[in-house]
Amino acid sequence: MWSVLRSRSFSSSPATQQWKLGLSMLNRSLFSSSAHVGGDDEGIRSGELLKLEEVETILRDVKADNVKVIPIPKHCDFADFMVVATGRSAWHVRNIAQALIYKVKQKQKGSKRMLLPSVEGQEGGNWIVIDSGKLVIHALDEKVRAYYNLERLWSTDASNQDHGLVQGQDLDKAFLKVRPKNNSKKRSSTTA
Amino acid sequence: MIQPQTHLNVADNSGARELMCIRIIGASNRRYAHIGDVIVAVIKEAIPNMPLERSEVVRAVIVRTCKELKRDNGMIIRYDDNAAVVIDQEGNPKGTRIFGAIARELRELNFTKIVSLAPEVL
Repeated sequence: MWSVLRSRSFSSSPATQQWKLGLSMLNRSLFSSSAHVGGDDEGIRSGELLKLEEVETILRDVKADNVKVIPIPKHCDFADFMVVATGRSAWHVRNIAQALIYKVKQKQKGSKRMLLPSVEGQEGGNWIVIDSGKLVIHALDEKVRAYYNLERLWSTDASNQDHGLVQGQDLDKAFLKVRPKNNSKKRSSTTA
Repeated sequence: MIQPQTHLNVADNSGARELMCIRIIGASNRRYAHIGDVIVAVIKEAIPNMPLERSEVVRAVIVRTCKELKRDNGMIIRYDDNAAVVIDQEGNPKGTRIFGAIARELRELNFTKIVSLAPEVL
């Protein structure tokens, strides 16, 4: 698995270099979330450490199940795309994350300072999030994926609807007031 | 400015409705917690027939505070309520949906899971 990744990253390095140079100025203005980089004029900038196609190929290589790419609607500007992938076990989920991190490291080999995406949930193996700027990759266990149901939340038209729905249900339950039952035999005075 | 004995609303569908902070995690003698800090809290009020119950001790991340949050660019954000999201030891949220607006700072503090469940990021 690793050898495949390695060869791929080497073969694609000229293209990525070009891409980095071309987009470096754009990246600087666009990405604020992880813009803690100094003013080095090297090619690598914050923001998109990974490209969507690269992520897809890696996920295919590590045999992640049920990969879904969800474009995030315009009104939520924290990222552009969300990739959701299922792993068969905790080890598999962790391996998916490791493969993606390895790819990022390979792409930046030889540069003075490496930029790594923020990884969350590495120890657990239930749900690992790799946040590489405009691309957020979720690697989840099967059960966890069903529990959180990210696809439903972020599917194009129902993003707000789902939130509204859940909130509505909860509010209905929360504010439902049951009137105490009137068990007395006495007739109420209002009717009489 | 959340300190022990502060009551907070719960901004998710985990089943708790009100929390009381009992400890701030991070340093030994910290006085106040702000957005993005993890606290230990007691559930003071819970929705019936849900996994979380009253008087249970949980961890929570603060997501909204009445005390204003200042950003480097001069932006100031303050909310109407103090709210938190219940998490477990690994940082996974207990609920599946989060209500209300969430500050962008949570993502930089490695709470991307919470941010990706939220409807709105300020």
